[in-house]
Amino acid sequence: MELLLPLFLNGVVNGAHYALLAMGFGMIFATTGVVHFAYGPVYAVAAYLTWWSVTVLSLPFLVAMGVGIVGCAVVGMASYVLLYRWFLRNDSPPFIILVVSLGLLMLITNLIGVAFGTNAKTVNDVTYGFYFIGSAVVTGVQLWQVLALVVVGLGLAAFMKWTAYGSYIRAMQDNMLMAKIVGINTERVSLVVFGIGSGISGIAASLILVKEGALPHMGFLAVFYAFLAAVVGGLGSLPGAVAGGLILGLVESLGVWRVSSDWQTTIAFGVLFIVLIWRPTGLWKGY
Amino acid sequence: MEYVYHIGVVISLYVILSVSFNITIGLAGLFALAHASFYAFGAYAAAILSVKLGIGFPLSMLVGIVGAGVVGMIIALPALRVGGHYLVIITLAFQAIVTDFLRNANGLTGGPDGLAGVEPINLFGADLTTPGDFLPLAVFFAVLVYLIGQRLERSPFGRALRAMREDESAVQSVGKNPVAFKLLAFAVSGGLAAIAGSLFAHYVSYVGPHSFTVEETILILTMVILGGIGNLTGSVVGAIILVLLPEALKLLSLPPITADMLRGCIYGAMLIVILRFRPQGLLPERHSIPKIADSLRAELKAVGKTVFDIAKVAASGPTLVGKGLHKRFGGIVAVDDATITLKAGRVTGLIGPNGAGKTTAFNLLTGFISTNSGEVTFRDESIGGLRPHEIVSSGIARSFQDLRLFRSMTVLENVLVALPHQAGDKLLNVFFRPRLVRHQEAENLLKAEAVLAYVGLREKAMERADNLSYAEEKLLVIARLVATGAEVLLLDEPLSGLDPTTLEQILPSIRRLAEEGRTVCLIEHNLDVIQKVCDYAFYLDEGRVLAEGPPNELMQDPELQGRYFR
Amino acid sequence: MFTKAIKGLTCAVVGTILAAGTPATAEDTIKIGGIFSMSGTAPYYGQVMSQGAQLAIDEINAEGGVDGRKLELVIEDHKSGNTQAAVTGMNRLINVVGVKAVLSSFSGPTAAIAPISQDRGIFTLNGGGVSPKMIGVSDHMFHNRSMALDLALASVAYAVESGHKRIAQIAIKSEFGDSAIAAAIEAAERAGVEIVASEQFANDATNIDAQIAKIRAARPDVVLNWATTPQAGIAVKRLRDIQVNVPVQSMEWTSEDFAIAGDHSENIFVVTDYFSASEENEWGKHFHDAYVARHGDDPDFYAANYYEAIYVIAELISRAHDAKGKDFASADLTEQLWADNSFKSVYGGTMKFRDNGVVIKRVALLEVKDGKTEFVRFIEAAAD
Repeated sequence: MELLLPLFLNGVVNGAHYALLAMGFGMIFATTGVVHFAYGPVYAVAAYLTWWSVTVLSLPFLVAMGVGIVGCAVVGMASYVLLYRWFLRNDSPPFIILVVSLGLLMLITNLIGVAFGTNAKTVNDVTYGFYFIGSAVVTGVQLWQVLALVVVGLGLAAFMKWTAYGSYIRAMQDNMLMAKIVGINTERVSLVVFGIGSGISGIAASLILVKEGALPHMGFLAVFYAFLAAVVGGLGSLPGAVAGGLILGLVESLGVWRVSSDWQTTIAFGVLFIVLIWRPTGLWKGY
Repeated sequence: MEYVYHIGVVISLYVILSVSFNITIGLAGLFALAHASFYAFGAYAAAILSVKLGIGFPLSMLVGIVGAGVVGMIIALPALRVGGHYLVIITLAFQAIVTDFLRNANGLTGGPDGLAGVEPINLFGADLTTPGDFLPLAVFFAVLVYLIGQRLERSPFGRALRAMREDESAVQSVGKNPVAFKLLAFAVSGGLAAIAGSLFAHYVSYVGPHSFTVEETILILTMVILGGIGNLTGSVVGAIILVLLPEALKLLSLPPITADMLRGCIYGAMLIVILRFRPQGLLPERHSIPKIADSLRAELKAVGKTVFDIAKVAASGPTLVGKGLHKRFGGIVAVDDATITLKAGRVTGLIGPNGAGKTTAFNLLTGFISTNSGEVTFRDESIGGLRPHEIVSSGIARSFQDLRLFRSMTVLENVLVALPHQAGDKLLNVFFRPRLVRHQEAENLLKAEAVLAYVGLREKAMERADNLSYAEEKLLVIARLVATGAEVLLLDEPLSGLDPTTLEQILPSIRRLAEEGRTVCLIEHNLDVIQKVCDYAFYLDEGRVLAEGPPNELMQDPELQGRYFR
Repeated sequence: MFTKAIKGLTCAVVGTILAAGTPATAEDTIKIGGIFSMSGTAPYYGQVMSQGAQLAIDEINAEGGVDGRKLELVIEDHKSGNTQAAVTGMNRLINVVGVKAVLSSFSGPTAAIAPISQDRGIFTLNGGGVSPKMIGVSDHMFHNRSMALDLALASVAYAVESGHKRIAQIAIKSEFGDSAIAAAIEAAERAGVEIVASEQFANDATNIDAQIAKIRAARPDVVLNWATTPQAGIAVKRLRDIQVNVPVQSMEWTSEDFAIAGDHSENIFVVTDYFSASEENEWGKHFHDAYVARHGDDPDFYAANYYEAIYVIAELISRAHDAKGKDFASADLTEQLWADNSFKSVYGGTMKFRDNGVVIKRVALLEVKDGKTEFVRFIEAAAD
C-alpha cells in the first residue's frame, strides 16, 4: 500500500498530462486527417515561450502561460496555413503529409535549440505546495495538471456540443466529404482545430515547465505518447482521449510496482501493444 | 579516401534498408514503422553469435535473416487486422519496445553498453577491416538486395501486393489470400533489412541500442518517401541523397556550437521543400509489363494456348444454392430465411427495392460474411467455413457495387492479377523457378489479352484503370471476374448508371457468359434491363424472398409492382 | 577488378559531391578531432566539452602554438550516442581532415571508434565515457576520466563513513548507470550496509515519478544519484518535491542542475572527479576564471577534462616534434605518452595513466551550499 498509492496517484497525474496531449492531437487528426508529428515541437514552443515570458519579460506566471498557449496556437495554425493546407488541397497521400510533418518536427526542434540554447530551462520563482494523501505526497503542480484536464476536458466537451464550430468539427470528423457538400468552410474549421489543439498542448507544456523544466527535444516523446493515448482511446473521441491518457499513465506507473523500473517502457508499451492488437481501433468510437 | 569508402559503405547499408522497407510500405502499402528493429535484429544476431559463440559470417548473417523474417511475421500480425494510421502507431510502439529491450536485456545484448569486439568478416583469407576492403562486399549486397527487390516487384507476387495495397477485398474477390501475402512481404522485408544489420555489426565491430531507435526508422522512411514510394530505384536515390546531405552540410562553415542543429533545420526544411515540389517523391512509381518475345508468342500460339479456355465450364443444373439464409446485424434482420438457387447456363437476377437485403444475400452467397443460420452449398457441398479467397478458388467469384478496381494499375494488370493458379504468386517460385514463372507469365499475358478482347477493352490494355470511362470500368469489372476462371459469377449492379447505348454494348457480354455455360447472378434495379438480360429472378423485400420466376411473370404481379414503386 | 571498379565509382560519385566544397587547408596547422554530442537528447555535453577544449586551444595558440604550429579543433557530432554517426565522424576526421589526435566522448561512440583507433594508429583521448567496454580494444586509446567503478566505491565509502545504513540509488539506464549501480551494490555488500532501492529510468523518459515513488517507499537514509545533467537536477527536484529530504550524494552537479533543482539544491554532496578551483590549485583557478570570463558559467569537470586533454595532447605533440620531427604520426603520440605517463592535471597535482590507459585521479567530495559547490576534501577509494 505504501508504494501502491503513490504509484496510482502518479499514474493519474501523468495520465492527465498525456490525456491533455491526446485530446489536442486526436482532435487535429480526426478532423483534418493530418498525423501532426510536429505537434511535439509545437508543444515545446509553448514551454519555451512561457519560460521566456517569465524570465526575460518578468511577467507573472499565469500571464506567461497565456503567452505560451497563444504562441503555441499561432505556431500550430501557421503550420496548417503554410504547410499542410497545400498538401491537403492537392490530395496528397496521407503518408506524404506524415513525412512532411516529420520534416517540420526536425525543423522546429532544432530551431528551438538554436534560438534558446540546449540547456534546460526552468522557472524556479513559481512556488507550489505539497499535500499528503494518505502516505503519498502530491505537489501543487500535479494537482494543477489534473485540474487542467478536468477544466479543458469539460470546456472542450461543451464547445463541441453547443457551439457552431463544435458541430462543424463533429461533421468533419464524421464525414469530410459530406461536410464540404453541406457548405462547411472546412479550411477555416481546420485552422480553428489546429489552433485549439495546439493551444491545449500549450497548457500541458507550461505545467511541465514548472514540474521538470524544458528541453529542445521534449516534444518528440510527447507527441508519441499523445498519438498512442489517442489511438488506444479511439481517435477523435474525447472520453477516449481521456481514458487513453489515463490508461497510459497508470500502466506506466503501476507496471513497475513489482518489477524493476528499468523495464518501465517495455511494460507500458507492451501492454498498449496488446490492447491495440485486441482492439486495433481503440476502446471508444470517434464521433 | 577511406572516408569516401566509408560513406560508400554507409550508402550501401541504407540502400539495403530503404529498398527492403519499400517492399512493405511501397509495394504492399503497409505503413509499419518498425524497420529499424529488423536492422537491429540482424546486427545483434551477428554480434551475439560472434562475441558469445564465436560464429562468424556468413552463418551469422543467415541466422539474422531468418530471425528477422520471423520478427517480420510478428509485426505482420497487427497488419492483418488494421491498416493506415493504426498500424503506424502500433508498430511505432513495437519499435520502442525493441529499443527498450535491447537497452535492458544486459545478459543477452550487453544492455546500454552494447556488444564490442564483433569479429570482422573474413573473405578469401583476409579480414575486411578497413572501409576500402569492406566496400565491395557492401556494394555487392546492396546490388543483390536491389535485384531481389526488383524481381519481387516485377513478379506476379509483386503485382498481387500492389493490388492488395489498392483494395484488399478486391484481392480476395479474385481468389488471393491477403494474409499470406502480408506475412511474406514482411518476412522478406525484414530478412533483407537484417543483411544491412549483419554487415553493420561486422563492419563497425560494435553494436549498441542507440543505432536502432525510432529515429532510425524515420530516417529510412524518409529515404523511401523522398525517393518515391513504390519505386525501388527511388529508394536507392533517396538513400544516397540522405546519406550525402548531412555530410555535404558539414562543408558549410557554421558556428560550432549550433552547427549541428542548424544542419538539422536545413535537413528538415529540405525534406519539406522536396515533397512540396515532388509530392510523389523524386522518382514516382512506374508500371512495367514484361514483354513477350515474338518467338515465345508464336510458340504458344502453335500449341493453341492463346485462346482463353472456357470449354470446361460447360455444365447444367443447380450450382450455387443458399438454403434458409438468415443474417442479423445487431437487432436488424437483413436477410430472413431466404432460399436462392442459381443454375448453370442462365442469368439469375436479384431484384427488389432499396434495403431489401440483396447485397447482404450476395455477401452471404460468396462467403464475405457468415450466416447466422442456413447453409450455402456449391454442387451439393457446403462452402461454410471457407474463407472468401478459397471460395473464389473453388469457382465462385463476385464483383462489388462500388467496382473496387485496382485504380492505379493498368487495365492489363487488373486482369492479370485475377488469373488463377499463378506460379509466380508463390515467392519460392519467383526466386527458384524463374523459368516456370516467366513462361507462365507469357501465357497469362496472352490470356489477359484474350479476356480484354472478350469484353472489348483490348485497346485500353495499357491505360491506368482510373483513366477509364465509367462504362469501361464496368467492362473491366466483368473482365476481371471472367479472368478468375470461376464458373459462378455474381455481379453487384453491373449495369447501373449506364446510358442506353453503353447498356446495349454490355448486355450481350453478360448473356454470352451464361450461354457459355457459366452460372451468372446479378443485382439490378432497372426492370427493363432485368427483363432483357435475366432468365430468372428472385424478388426480395425486407430480407425475404417474396417470389421467384421468369422476370416478366414476376413483374405482372400487382403486389410486387406496388412494393417496388412504393 | 570488381573491387577496383566499385572503389573507383564510389570515389567518383561521393568524391565529386563532397569535394566540391572542401575548404582548402590553410597554413601549417595541426588538427585535433572532437567527437562530441552536439545534438540529440544530451547536447549539453557537446557544448561544455567543446568549450573546454576550444579554450585550451585558443590559449595555446595565443602563446604561439606548439613549436610555432597552431592547433585547430574539428568537431563531429555523434548525436547523443549514435555509434554510426561516431564512426562516420571518425573516418572523416582521419581521412578528410587529417587529424593527429581525436577527443572522444560517451561510452558507446568511444567503444565504436576504438577498433578504428587501433587499426589506423590514431591517438584517442576520452574524457567523458566511463564504461569498461572501451578499455583494452585500442593501444592508442586513453581516458582522463575516472571510471564508474572508482566513483561508486568512493561514494559508498563516504556514505558508510557518514553513518548511513539504508542506501537508495537512482540512475539513468545507460552504460554509466549500469556499471555504477552494479559497483555500488558490490561495495555496499562488502561494507555491510543495505541497498534498499536501485531505480533506473530512460534518459528521454517523460517523467521519473514511479522511480522516485519507489525510492521514497524504501525509506532510505541517503540517496546515491548517478544521473547525469540535467536528469541529476530533475531527480533531486522531484525527490524533494515529494519530501524525501535525506542527503543526496550526486555523481555530478552542474550549473544546469542548479538551475533545475533551484531552492532544492541543498543537503547535496558531490562525489566525483570534480576539480576544485581552490587557491592552492593555481592552474585550475586560472582555467576556472578564463572559462567564466568567456562563457559566464562555472566550468564543470567535463569542460575541465577536455581542457586538460588538449594540454596533454599538446605536450605529446611537442615531445613527438623533438623525437620524429614535423611529420610525426598519430601513433607516435602513444609512444611519447608511455615515455613518461605523468601529466600535470588541471585538478591540481599530477595524474598518471595506468597500464589499461585509464588515468588515476583523486576523487573529490564537494558540498552544495548556497547555490555553490564547495570543495570539502579528497576521498581515497580508487579501485586500483
